[in-house]
Amino acid sequence: MSSFALYQGLANGIVTGCVYALIALSLVIIFKSTDVINFAGGEVVMVGAYLGMAALVYFELNYVLVFLFGAVGMFVIGALFDRIVLHKVLGRATPGQSILVAMVIATVGLGFAMKGTVRLFHYTEEVRRLTPAFRGPPIELGPVFLQRQDVAIVVIAVLLMLALFLFFQFTFIGKALRATSQNPKAAMLVGVPVQVMRLLIWGIACALAGVAGILIGGKLPMSVDMGGNVIILSFAAAVIGGFTNLPGAVFGGIMLGIIQNLVGITISSQAIAVAPFVVIMLVLTIRPQGLFGGQVRIKKV
Amino acid sequence: MYGSPSLGRLLPLLALLVVGFVLPRYVAEYYLYLGNVLMMYAVLAIGLDILLGQAGQFAFAHTAFFGIGCYATALLNIRWGVPFVIGMPLGALLAGMVATLIALPATRLRDVYLGLATYAFAEGAQWVFNSWTAVTNGADGVRIQPSSVFGIVVRTDTQAFPVVAIITALVIAATMYMMTSRLGRDMAAVRESEHVAMASGIDVRRVKITAFALSGVYAGIAGGMFTLFQSFVNPEQFGFVTIVLVLSMIVVGGLGTLPGVLIGVVILGLLPEVLRTVMRSFQIYQELVYGLILILTMMFMPRGIWGFIRGHGQRKKK
Amino acid sequence: MSGPLFSLRNVTVQFGGLRALNDFSMDVQPGTIHALIGPNGAGKSTVFNCISRFYTPTAGDIQFDGKSILRAAPHEISRLGIARTFQNIELCKRMTVLENVLVGAQPTIGRYGSFWPSPRRGRIEAEAVKAAEALLEQGNLLAYRDVHAEELDFGHQKMLDVCRALACRPRLLLLDEPAAGLRNREIAALDALLAELCRTRGITIVLVEHVMQLVMAVADEITVLNFGEKIAEGKPAEIRASPQVIEAYLGKGSHAAA
Repeated sequence: MSSFALYQGLANGIVTGCVYALIALSLVIIFKSTDVINFAGGEVVMVGAYLGMAALVYFELNYVLVFLFGAVGMFVIGALFDRIVLHKVLGRATPGQSILVAMVIATVGLGFAMKGTVRLFHYTEEVRRLTPAFRGPPIELGPVFLQRQDVAIVVIAVLLMLALFLFFQFTFIGKALRATSQNPKAAMLVGVPVQVMRLLIWGIACALAGVAGILIGGKLPMSVDMGGNVIILSFAAAVIGGFTNLPGAVFGGIMLGIIQNLVGITISSQAIAVAPFVVIMLVLTIRPQGLFGGQVRIKKV
Repeated sequence: MYGSPSLGRLLPLLALLVVGFVLPRYVAEYYLYLGNVLMMYAVLAIGLDILLGQAGQFAFAHTAFFGIGCYATALLNIRWGVPFVIGMPLGALLAGMVATLIALPATRLRDVYLGLATYAFAEGAQWVFNSWTAVTNGADGVRIQPSSVFGIVVRTDTQAFPVVAIITALVIAATMYMMTSRLGRDMAAVRESEHVAMASGIDVRRVKITAFALSGVYAGIAGGMFTLFQSFVNPEQFGFVTIVLVLSMIVVGGLGTLPGVLIGVVILGLLPEVLRTVMRSFQIYQELVYGLILILTMMFMPRGIWGFIRGHGQRKKK
Repeated sequence: MSGPLFSLRNVTVQFGGLRALNDFSMDVQPGTIHALIGPNGAGKSTVFNCISRFYTPTAGDIQFDGKSILRAAPHEISRLGIARTFQNIELCKRMTVLENVLVGAQPTIGRYGSFWPSPRRGRIEAEAVKAAEALLEQGNLLAYRDVHAEELDFGHQKMLDVCRALACRPRLLLLDEPAAGLRNREIAALDALLAELCRTRGITIVLVEHVMQLVMAVADEITVLNFGEKIAEGKPAEIRASPQVIEAYLGKGSHAAA
């Protein structure tokens, strides 16, 4: 295999990897704060993409507003889900395993409900593609040719991750969110409104995934089922990062994007499908806390 | 959870056996098909509940074992003419063995990680079903050949119904005995508190592996049952949709309780059919209704329908 | 019978940089009540968790009946005759009171086929239920036989924890802060119970406790831990007067006559 193909595969991998990273971040943010795995992750991405499409085609907004529309829209949906559904589920006391199960099933339900709702619009029956924001000849970066759209994806993704980092590190709300995720009881005692924090977490996570959806929508064919394709890779990315580590999730996402592309080039396209599962099983068997997670927590007796 | 199941609880199973032989005379083929499907799901769901609800291990490799049992039974029949009565137990045994193998590394994982790893295994298994075309014929699937059960060739739903009913009744009875036995208590203890279990002399790891193996056997049995009344098996059956469906059945019905699981099977199993008769273009609404059922049940009955009914009953007593 | 029933010999437990127990030795004579006291974080729970084999000591040995138990897996300990309760009352919450005791009795219950009926099964289960009910009767919990453990009030839950531990007919009973959170009336009942278990039934008891009133009343021998090391050992009267112990903070409720 020529080195050109290798570099191209790498570059393409980084592009898709950035998107997986965003979605993985979305999953990890929720898990870190609430111990819930959001099984609607893929559908959130899908709805984000369709919101973007609605903004672009129906409302004919420019692309900046499209992103805003998608992000805000998904934020609202995520926050509403938390406020209406999760709040109620949590309120039903009986602590322990059963509440987590209930919440996870609720997210599964959310996924199906989202799919079902989007399907109601006849517009979505056909597979479509978002018109790319950036048209024109591909940019040449060293040995590699990148579509302008792809460069935009990487730039936007990196900007978002930076913004997230700054938010969590330096703003008051960001720090309160981190405190809540590390120790909800202590946070409550100090006066942090835990419920509001959880709502914000869901909103931010869904907004992230929504933007990822708009980014994907320009590259891959959009359909109501598109969530299923991306979610498993994002799960694998989150697992690599130990599911509790944000930079780990980013690393995992980009890694997987690269692996996916290289596997597709070197082994077979069929192997691509199973690669994420193998990765998940291997990482969890050998090092459950992922490459970046700390010591696995032991419960004190 | 001790002693043995009372006669009162075993009687409905006897009724099931009777129904199994009598109903086919009076009822249309289509309803018998539905019955077969529900009974198969019952066995599948109970198997998953043993692992999740009884032993408290959140593992989702179930569809892999379902598939193994199914393909094994079907292929043993097609390739070597092995009759169902031998093929199904063999398939279940194979599924149980694979489950045990998986359990060895899996039981070292906890919670989230266990769920993810086992789910990844299930998807990996589906990929194998799709790719190992030499054996499974890949995505094209395998055409099931009617099998003989004690001399009678089972070709139709009418003929399959009594056999499926017998298997289901036996499985439920065995489950009732198991849940009230020392093993059932051990599993529940592991679910409730591993520390107490260990301090009480229970080998926690062994119990977890046993629960895994059992769930695999149940899934394998369900896989065998599948071959009795379906004409065709392909990898589609053993993927995400199925595992979510079975999981929903046990959670919506009532995790860890036999009546709950059966309620969940009936409700979620019949849902597509109900939608079909009530709303003509049901396909469109199916996912939405399904999602709403899950959300609403978790909001108002997080312990499942049976948990809700029981809780209500206790409150009334006070 | 000469020699201690149970002893820790030079046990050291190290967690990373933290030395939870340092060269700790303790002998427990059969048929006695031995209390282990000390300020919070002194290492008392670590001792119990080593005995339960949840932790493995970095150095030293633990012997029961003259034989080391360090090779045993956690689930083999109760079979040896050692039972314990837990500080956080780790009960099987969604199981009934009777079922909790049956779980505790597991080592004494014979094997039988789990999936089918048999006369052997019927006999074994009936005996087990009878034994469990007898235990509950003694603990005044028989009325709550079919109540879920999570619905019991705190004092009853603690009693259930003890019943569960007693169900395997132990020779050595480890009680982890049994008096914590109990009212005075309940502490008196606990006092009587411990006396009965030890004097009448000959069960050796090791007690980790903060409530001094109980310790002084009931213990035959007291060992004091601080920062993972033994700082004093002896009869209650000696300990009460010991300057080191007083200095190291005797803990709450020290209304025992000084």
